[in-house]
Amino acid sequence: MKRTRSIATGVATSITLALALAACGSADDGGSDDGAAGGTPEAADITLWLNGADTPEELRTYLVDTFAEENPGSTLTIEEQDWEDVVTKLTTALPDAQNTPDVVEIGNTQAATFTYAGAFAEISPELYEELGGDALLQSFVEAGAIDDTKYALPYYFGSRYMFYRADAWKKAGVEVPTTLAEFGDAVKELRTDKQSGFALGGQDWRNGISWVFANDGELAVKDGEEWTSTLSDPNTVKGLEQWQDVYATASNLPATHTDEAYWEYLNDPEDGGAPEGATIMAPSWARWSLGDLTKNDAGDEVRDGMADAKKFDIFALPGVDGGVAPVFAGGSNLAVSAKSQHPELAENLLRIIYSDDYQTMLAKNGLGPANTEFNSVMATDKFGETAVAAAEASKLTPAAPGWAAVEGAKVYEELFQKIAEGGDVTALAAEYDEKLTPMLNGQAG
Amino acid sequence: MTRTETSGIAIRRRRRPATPYVLLIPAVAVLLVGLGYPVYWQVITSLQEFGMMQQFGAPPAFVGLDNYARILADDRLVPVVVRSLAFCLVNAFLTVGIGLGLAMLMRSVLGWVRIVMQVVLLLAWATPMVAAVTVFRWLFDYRTGVVNWLLVQLGFDQADGFAWLAQPLTFFTVATFVIVWMSVPFVAMSIYAGLTQVSEEVLEAARLDGANGTQILWRILLPLVKPVLAIVLLLQIIWDLRVFAQIRLLQDGGAPISETNLLGNFIYELGIGSQDFSGAAAVSIFVLLLTVALSAPYVRSLMKEDAA
Amino acid sequence: MSAVTEAPATEVRAPVVAPAPARRRPRAGKILLSVLGLAMSLVWVFPVYWMVLSAVTPNARLRSETPSFLPVHFTLGNFSSVLSDSGFVGALKMSLMITVVTIVIVLAFAFLAALAISRWRFRGRTSFVLAVLFIQMLPAEGLFIAQYKMLSSWGETAPVLGLNSVLGVSLLYAAMLVPFTIWMLRGFVAGVPAELEEAAMVDGLSRTRAFLRITFPLLAPGLVASGVYAFLQAWNEFTTALVVLPAESRQTLPVWLRSFLSASANRGIDWAEVMAASTLIAVPVIVFFLFVQGRMTSGLVAGAVKG
Repeated sequence: MKRTRSIATGVATSITLALALAACGSADDGGSDDGAAGGTPEAADITLWLNGADTPEELRTYLVDTFAEENPGSTLTIEEQDWEDVVTKLTTALPDAQNTPDVVEIGNTQAATFTYAGAFAEISPELYEELGGDALLQSFVEAGAIDDTKYALPYYFGSRYMFYRADAWKKAGVEVPTTLAEFGDAVKELRTDKQSGFALGGQDWRNGISWVFANDGELAVKDGEEWTSTLSDPNTVKGLEQWQDVYATASNLPATHTDEAYWEYLNDPEDGGAPEGATIMAPSWARWSLGDLTKNDAGDEVRDGMADAKKFDIFALPGVDGGVAPVFAGGSNLAVSAKSQHPELAENLLRIIYSDDYQTMLAKNGLGPANTEFNSVMATDKFGETAVAAAEASKLTPAAPGWAAVEGAKVYEELFQKIAEGGDVTALAAEYDEKLTPMLNGQAG
Repeated sequence: MTRTETSGIAIRRRRRPATPYVLLIPAVAVLLVGLGYPVYWQVITSLQEFGMMQQFGAPPAFVGLDNYARILADDRLVPVVVRSLAFCLVNAFLTVGIGLGLAMLMRSVLGWVRIVMQVVLLLAWATPMVAAVTVFRWLFDYRTGVVNWLLVQLGFDQADGFAWLAQPLTFFTVATFVIVWMSVPFVAMSIYAGLTQVSEEVLEAARLDGANGTQILWRILLPLVKPVLAIVLLLQIIWDLRVFAQIRLLQDGGAPISETNLLGNFIYELGIGSQDFSGAAAVSIFVLLLTVALSAPYVRSLMKEDAA
Repeated sequence: MSAVTEAPATEVRAPVVAPAPARRRPRAGKILLSVLGLAMSLVWVFPVYWMVLSAVTPNARLRSETPSFLPVHFTLGNFSSVLSDSGFVGALKMSLMITVVTIVIVLAFAFLAALAISRWRFRGRTSFVLAVLFIQMLPAEGLFIAQYKMLSSWGETAPVLGLNSVLGVSLLYAAMLVPFTIWMLRGFVAGVPAELEEAAMVDGLSRTRAFLRITFPLLAPGLVASGVYAFLQAWNEFTTALVVLPAESRQTLPVWLRSFLSASANRGIDWAEVMAASTLIAVPVIVFFLFVQGRMTSGLVAGAVKG
């Protein structure tokens, strides 16, 4: 009996809760951003969700300590989420006023979906200026904004590098290219039956879209309120065809290969012989999977792709007319939950994160700082310089409400695989434009 | 007290005994508490427009059966259903067949071999699913996989660099290996547990009557484990129709997603993946109805047997 | 173990029934079948071996082109770095508690229900059996949002049932597992003829004692099989645990394992650690299995058949 009653109340409460949420959801869009003009907010414990192990321990401790210091009586709890599941957890927890985290980290390509859904509190123009304003990495700011209203700000970025076997390139007499076309020729020349000139997987659209961006192409554009997939745009088609040619002439990898574990192709095989690839394109952390095995001080076997420049080296993907090509930048954004019970404390936490000290710490730890003025802290060696050069030219995927859905359904993986298999780019572009446009707009309404 | 219970057993077809209802209360209660609201939500959501906006507080609009109409008109649905059914039947029968074979084998091997087999099955059963799929992905990796390496050693040179996960057919072959590998231990152990219930005396009597091994198998053992077999098969069909995580993890290895999705993945892709919660709810209900319809004849025969 | 009880029986009867050659033939067959059994075991154990092998290999050495079948670069480093992760012990405790609570609820409740439907014919029985069967056909992939909302609302009045609670998630698991368990046990209960019990009662045993002495031992394999199943499901479940146990300190082992599986802009996946963590998660299951296996299936069954 008792049990049956608790179900009834359970159901009833959830329904009332849903109604209550619905009611405040619509009322809440307007106000509550004119912030704390004076007085200290009530002391409380706030929660910050960070994803994966990207933010090093040292930085976390700094945040917790500094927050407690600057907000007497209040504390900060940091909870680590997994990248793979962050969308699931944010979808369930953010609308729940009782249990929502106060500040969350979110992948830059996922930010738009939650921003449009009303998951985040608005960041007032004053606060935006205070946190860095236009010095903040603008491509990331756009990912978390609706028109001019900001909701999610950049947290950090990671760059993509071209890692290459300097010894193999030298042996083949190929120079580091200065234009995108030269790059294509170089890796084509390096390709043999046993070795990919450029080890590139057919489904690897995250690297592949660099060719689209380099040719001034776009994946999608916003016209008024509507997003339109623009694969059929002549520039985009040109980029895709160029990529198709590079894949066909320089890579031995299957069309189904994703951007996973490229370093395996660049390292010397265990049983001797030549590596299977001469060049790869990968995020910065690939450095620690590349190179020859050595023992570190603790006696563990480790690798460092920057240890011997005669064997392993890097460059940034060159643009069509030289310079640096716009490549896709990984990274994440930060936002305050719209349902946070302590928005003022949450904003205080943002102030600490965007402080000079913390931005410097990010840069020193190899994380591209949100505030571009701190890029110089990073650019102290070739690895850092290349990162900054690539980041300054970097570009993001469209900040469309349905972007997370497109990624979730792996539509671009499919499209790039079909292109890699030699499909007709113009026809495929038209087919996928039709498929993508409604997805990009989500189910607005 | 004792007396009423005794009569409950003795006169089993007596009208309206109270005991069975009392015995059902805990199970019914736990089902209502644990599943009542989620199922209710699922049904309601399938009749509403419910996406990311609604999850974040926008009032959902009632749209009647629109979601069902939309889903049924979606040209992705039919291939997914057909694929799921084929995959489910192949896997369920393979699993039960191999499981039955292993259970029979366990009856007839040396004592220590049986223990080895049991331990091995338990090890496979105990392996976390994520680890199992990851290991199989390595075993079938096109470049560093043991399977391709072995095939090349055996003289199949075309296996060098063969990408198993690239085509739907070979993808599902690998998926079948994983699922059969993971599900056989349960089936084999259940059937084996059923077989141990067959008393030695019955078999002894049969042997005395001059029955040979094959006859004992077909005339005594199989009929006796038939109920277990039937349930295990039905459960495998239900579960294999709902295979999800294994496929998802294998797809991460680079399979053509839209050509390898099964129903569970389709629901996940709609819900979590595309934040179309109402579409996902509608497909869920559709899958439920489909499963009920498909299993109806089988369930009816089970019930008939049960009543006899 | 039942092999031991079997063998003498055949030996005693064999000289009477069959001449010597007939006795030798099944022996040769038995050896042949044993070889087949060993071969199958080898196939089945290989992936497990591969998991453990990868767990004791440095990540940098993993996935070389020519596979090595022996641990040539043996290291325990993966285990120590996995264990030094602060989450393991907490997750282990969480998983154990949830699993135990789930098994107890599932076995007790499902057993009573199985008893009801296999020993009594009553109005509503068929509908109950069908409902129980059909509940299992509902795909779980769409349920988690509702599960979250439900637990969150419970938590407002009764935190022991709310988000991050052992009892809350156990109840959700129990609801998913009870139907299957009823089905499984129903077959076993039906397999034990009520007449056996009645005969024992005629011999003067009370109803309860007859049940405990005669029926229960015969049901043991069924209880073990479904208990093992419930154990595994509760132990391995991922999505529900992820959603309704949002606090990092309350995560279960599979969710903890997941944290090793996530790559990002600044970090690759350490597959050797994934395999080491997987091995660690499998260990309690294996211990549980060996315990249950030795104690119950063979022991009780052999006892029941003999006695």
